[in-house]
Amino acid sequence: MTTPPQGREQLLVETFVRLADTLVADYDVIDLFHQLCADCIDLLAVDAAGLLITDQRDSLQVVSASTEATHLLELFQLQADQGPCLDCFHTSAQVHAPELRAETRWPRFTAHAIEYGFAAVHALPMRLRGLTIGAVNLFHRRAVAMTPDQLGVSQALADVATIAILTDRGTRERDQLTEQLQAALTSRVVIEQAKGVLGERGTIGLDDAFSRMRDRARATNQRLTDLARGVVDGTLDTDTLLRSSRSDRRPQD
Amino acid sequence: MVNQVQLMQTLAAAVDAGGPAAPLAICRSAAEWLPMGGVAIAMMSAQDGAQEPVCATDTTAARIDDLQFTLGEGPCLESFTSGRAVLVDDIADPSEARWPIFTAAAAETGARGMFVFPLHLGAARIGVLDCYRDTPGGLDDREIIGALHAADAAVWVLLDRIGQRTISAEPSTGGTSGRDWFDGSALTRAEVHQATGMLLAQFGSTATEALARLRGAAFASGRPIGEVAKDVLARRLRLSPDGTWRSEPPHDPPLT
Repeated sequence: MTTPPQGREQLLVETFVRLADTLVADYDVIDLFHQLCADCIDLLAVDAAGLLITDQRDSLQVVSASTEATHLLELFQLQADQGPCLDCFHTSAQVHAPELRAETRWPRFTAHAIEYGFAAVHALPMRLRGLTIGAVNLFHRRAVAMTPDQLGVSQALADVATIAILTDRGTRERDQLTEQLQAALTSRVVIEQAKGVLGERGTIGLDDAFSRMRDRARATNQRLTDLARGVVDGTLDTDTLLRSSRSDRRPQD
Repeated sequence: MVNQVQLMQTLAAAVDAGGPAAPLAICRSAAEWLPMGGVAIAMMSAQDGAQEPVCATDTTAARIDDLQFTLGEGPCLESFTSGRAVLVDDIADPSEARWPIFTAAAAETGARGMFVFPLHLGAARIGVLDCYRDTPGGLDDREIIGALHAADAAVWVLLDRIGQRTISAEPSTGGTSGRDWFDGSALTRAEVHQATGMLLAQFGSTATEALARLRGAAFASGRPIGEVAKDVLARRLRLSPDGTWRSEPPHDPPLT
């Protein structure tokens, strides 16, 4: 999919204006990450995007992806052991694999990526001064090298993700990085737990469960994490959530 | 100086050995291989506000817990409530104004730095691991990493403790506990959290109990917790409302 140059420029402006607006408001970091991954798809002509951050135990954890399809989440998470994101995280430099079939650096990761239909992968560091706190991961279904212009936009989106972690609410000056990283990881865990609750109660897929929570959070101006916590703690009526989400899709209900 | 290798080995040994002595073994490991004066673990309940000091390496660490529970404020309670690590470089610093009553009382203990890590997995909130030292100053990166590993190990053994209290506790055949924790960072896997949510909905309990049941099933069958979680997601294994496990062919489509 190629956007005409002028349309693309307009999209770029709109995206960064929206991101800047979000960053000064009371946003949910996981919801923002999800939006960032969607922006990567729209702006960079990539087929899948994901975001991993350090758990500060020398490993990376997936906190967001452009779709919640289980196989895609697993492909991102594989890189806790090996892959472009882990290399990117350790070297604080961009990692490019424009031709996965010729790739020898990460045999296990590469085999899975090809199996899922991907042909090229890129990873961009989330950097903060001297530290690297995670990586943005971009997948293409065609073997392709990204242009310097695309890489510039990708890196800017990765930088927004870094800023989003650091300015998430509740930040104090000291110790903020450890607290913020752990808070983002905890949010992600709560959302996974809530996906399980909704999946069981509504007999729906886990990606559907995620979409329903995100739609509801946006419609009611709640933070996604707070809503998910309500689902798990039992303070939110999941019947209403499951029913009203269905009726949104089928007006006859 | 942090000795990461010794720390990880002793933590894994504590998780592996399990049993009622495991929490104290974890505290001792952290106190010995991290530059801490003492370490304590407390369990708390988000539901009824219950607080239960589990163990402490010394009387000062025990006293710090005690004071907070008595006074109703302090870094442990804040960490449990917020789900964040609370790192206090110097509790005796006059500008430390977050917990005035506790801060005044804590002066008698001689503790200066206080570092509290929540024992939470998402909405499953179990307690806190709290460390103190008698000199002021913050933690460096290696010390934070070490403390986070100790907190992970503490979550693991407290789940066993909770599992033993729930009805029809799984019979233990023993085996893979420490390795499961040490190798796989098993409690970070998405399927474990998703399965926790499903079990919670099936069994009608809290996230903490659901996770403890999952952990118990893994322990009883000698399998990694991630594999048992996948059975739950595939609807091959479910919890009845009465708390018993049922293996069955799926009638609903798997949740993948």
